[in-house]
Amino acid sequence: MNKRLGTTNIKILVAVFVAIAIAVIALIRLDTTGKKGSGLGKEFTYDLKNLGKIDPNLILYKGSVRAISTGFTNSRAIALDSKGIIYIAGDKVIRKFAEAGNLLGETHVADMPMCLTIANDDKMYIGFKDHVEVYDGQGKPLATWENLGNDAVLTSIAVSNNDVFVADAGNRIVYRFNTTGKLINRIGGKDKDKNIPGFFVPSPHFDLAVGHDGLLRVANPGNHRIEAYTSEGDLEFSWGKFSNVNINSFCGCCNPVNFAILADESFVTCEKGLIRVKIYDRDGSFAGVVAGSKQLTGKAGRICNIPAECQSRAFDVAVDAHDRIFVLDTTKNIVRIFTKIKEE
Amino acid sequence: MAENKNDINRRHFLRNGLWAACLTGLGAITGALSRKCSAQNLFWQIDPEICIACGNCATYCVLEESAVKCVHAYAMCGYCRICFGFFGPEPHDINDAAENQLCPTGAIIRKYLKDDDPYYEYTIDEPLCMGCGKCVLGCNTFGNGSLFLQVRHDRCLNCNECSIAVACPSGAYKRVPADKPYLLKRADSA
Repeated sequence: MNKRLGTTNIKILVAVFVAIAIAVIALIRLDTTGKKGSGLGKEFTYDLKNLGKIDPNLILYKGSVRAISTGFTNSRAIALDSKGIIYIAGDKVIRKFAEAGNLLGETHVADMPMCLTIANDDKMYIGFKDHVEVYDGQGKPLATWENLGNDAVLTSIAVSNNDVFVADAGNRIVYRFNTTGKLINRIGGKDKDKNIPGFFVPSPHFDLAVGHDGLLRVANPGNHRIEAYTSEGDLEFSWGKFSNVNINSFCGCCNPVNFAILADESFVTCEKGLIRVKIYDRDGSFAGVVAGSKQLTGKAGRICNIPAECQSRAFDVAVDAHDRIFVLDTTKNIVRIFTKIKEE
Repeated sequence: MAENKNDINRRHFLRNGLWAACLTGLGAITGALSRKCSAQNLFWQIDPEICIACGNCATYCVLEESAVKCVHAYAMCGYCRICFGFFGPEPHDINDAAENQLCPTGAIIRKYLKDDDPYYEYTIDEPLCMGCGKCVLGCNTFGNGSLFLQVRHDRCLNCNECSIAVACPSGAYKRVPADKPYLLKRADSA
């Protein structure tokens, strides 16, 4: 009788042991990290590590030890005035910072500012989704310009003499206003007779700046190039091409997302997807790298997982009179300052 | 004369009647609740804002062909010429040749919009889509994030314990009301 009971107990123990072993194996096999993924072969792995790698010899700039914390939860744009004061737009406020990072003041606005520029007379021209507002240097509102319609998505603004150029990603056009807000003309609309292909703007990143030669430079992101226009709207020339592999080209579907112009008329460009800030000379030849994904985000290659994280990674860039480069990290809401470390 | 235990007196009648009324009421409440619960039947769905497109949807579904498919939010799409939901990260050339495509089954169709040059439209060939999410990774990384994964309820068995939900590393699987079974991306969420 006892022998039978003993045999039964052993059988139960073995069964329990087998069940535990199966459970452990099932748990181990369960892919709770997603790394095993779709079960496809290595050739289907989505890996951008190699593309994100940058030859250290190409890096011409070094970042500041401490970044400026802006205190924004959703920063959008950066601009500098002629005195080197840093202006950041976002969260329905414009904040002014000294280079050391201390807050100098702020101007509250009614809507989310999308872009801004500071004129030589310290007036702030702020682009909202569908209109422009002008403030004086103390943050007092001076004017609200005409509404540009439901489709308008203003993404960049620049002042030059009496002209204010405004990029509208929604309507894929650049408006030229005078400083009182009167519309003078439209620039960049598709025109076969003038050999203008039109702006190809797949996402709300459409930047412009006025060059030291007086020509307006506009990023045509879907065509991966920067185009030069006269203020009357004639296309003079363009440069830039696509490649995900060659660092001398613009990557992704639509780049550069932002750019700025240095004193020697060379360009600082900002790309999304493979985040990198690069330098091109005045003719558009690749000169070097300011920073890549690793320097800007700590990771090379693919640097986002969830959609919101990916969509916020279109950094903005500005330069000061000493050719230092100010990069606004729109994810961490900080500003990094880069200075040149060696001659090209 | 002793009282017969089986005789029904007024007190017994009232007590039994009360019990019967209570049980009937309880039954009615249970019936109403169960009807309400069946109206609020829950389905499994992927929250596209949390999904990291790890690929588990392609392999963990109990169906031979996953119930998860790619969905395209056209209002968010940039209609890019060089779409990285369509092209692999290092395309040899910008054309529709198989070696340039990211999708392992060629389930994305690229169509040139001649009336809206230079834009291209991308549609999903659903029978070919296996829910691996490669295109979602590419679109999120380089584009507007208009491609995303959804559990298709014309296929899903709505298992009590969804095996993909168990394996989902980002917790993107949710129970959603049957009358709103999809969590779609919208243009203003871009």
